[in-house]
Amino acid sequence: DAVSVLPAPQNLSVQSTNMKHLLMWNPVTRPGETVFYCVEYQGEYESLYMSHIWIPSSQCSSTKSLECDVTDDITATVPYNFRVKAMLGSQTSAWSNLEHPFNRNATVLTPPRMEVTEHGLHLVIELEDLGPQFEFLVVYWRREPGAAEHVKVVRSGDIPVHLETMESGAMYCVKAQALVKAIGRHSAFSQPTCVEMQGESLPL
Amino acid sequence: QEFRFGSCQVTGVVLPELWEAFWTMKNTVQTQDDITSVRLLKPQVLRNVSDAESCYLAHSLLKFYLNTVFKNYHSKIAKFKVLRSFSTLANNFIVIMSQLQPSKDNSMLPISESAHQRFLLFRRAFKQLDTEVALVKAFGEVDILLTWMQKFYHL
Repeated sequence: DAVSVLPAPQNLSVQSTNMKHLLMWNPVTRPGETVFYCVEYQGEYESLYMSHIWIPSSQCSSTKSLECDVTDDITATVPYNFRVKAMLGSQTSAWSNLEHPFNRNATVLTPPRMEVTEHGLHLVIELEDLGPQFEFLVVYWRREPGAAEHVKVVRSGDIPVHLETMESGAMYCVKAQALVKAIGRHSAFSQPTCVEMQGESLPL
Repeated sequence: QEFRFGSCQVTGVVLPELWEAFWTMKNTVQTQDDITSVRLLKPQVLRNVSDAESCYLAHSLLKFYLNTVFKNYHSKIAKFKVLRSFSTLANNFIVIMSQLQPSKDNSMLPISESAHQRFLLFRRAFKQLDTEVALVKAFGEVDILLTWMQKFYHL
């Protein structure tokens, strides 16, 4: 059994934005050498029922990087523990554990980027693709006093969605927020984007 | 997406992801089950379950799977290299369990008792088998359980 002479990686943390979860740690340095790292995880079930069981991360069972995308490892809205060890040849460090378990319901949800365009008389929106767990609430209105707001749920990004058939000369505004049902949360609304319907008057 | 077992509502679980996890394990698991003539989740356990009963029955079955089936079957799973899929299933069962709060109201006693009888049917069949055989069979019947749970899943 390789004697643990390497120091364990320090300062493990998880940075999570829009349901993309990145585990990070400080480097273990050996001049002129390449240190590799191994990441393992356990969900609440494993920590409750079989705490000795750790599962190799799908992405980082041996990586030179100082971060690991653990998005595919986190498949339930429960607390997850992570641990990392350093490896150099036959030398391995002790495991270093994430100080506090991470739950994906803590992810930071940002207002979605969107593109609002007019296609002829049609108001069209295209939202950024944030992955299968995201839906979007789109709110749009005609910019005039007392105008009613209309709401539409868009099931996925990256696909142009027709919102409204506009009247020429009128201005329409749109804003959107991201929804993640797996964690029961939503982002803030994006800043409204307004489009003025140019359009020519139709020939008699 | 949520489960509605009668008045019990469960959010935050994507059922297709549970199916996907089970399919990854299905062949490995069900080929271990040699006794195809016996079924633990018999039709009498899951057929015509009323909405009111469903929360009690789901709670009992999931608790049994977490505390008995998954816990004792895990050593086999580790060998089959499907730990990740197993983890997805088990941790999502924990999410569901944590949100199921069956009513303890006396007026619900007949209903909870009816659900309990169904659960006893399942557990009796489980106990009549050799433990290893029962674990393999119960784990292999997760698709029957998920099929029943799907009736209470709303997009």
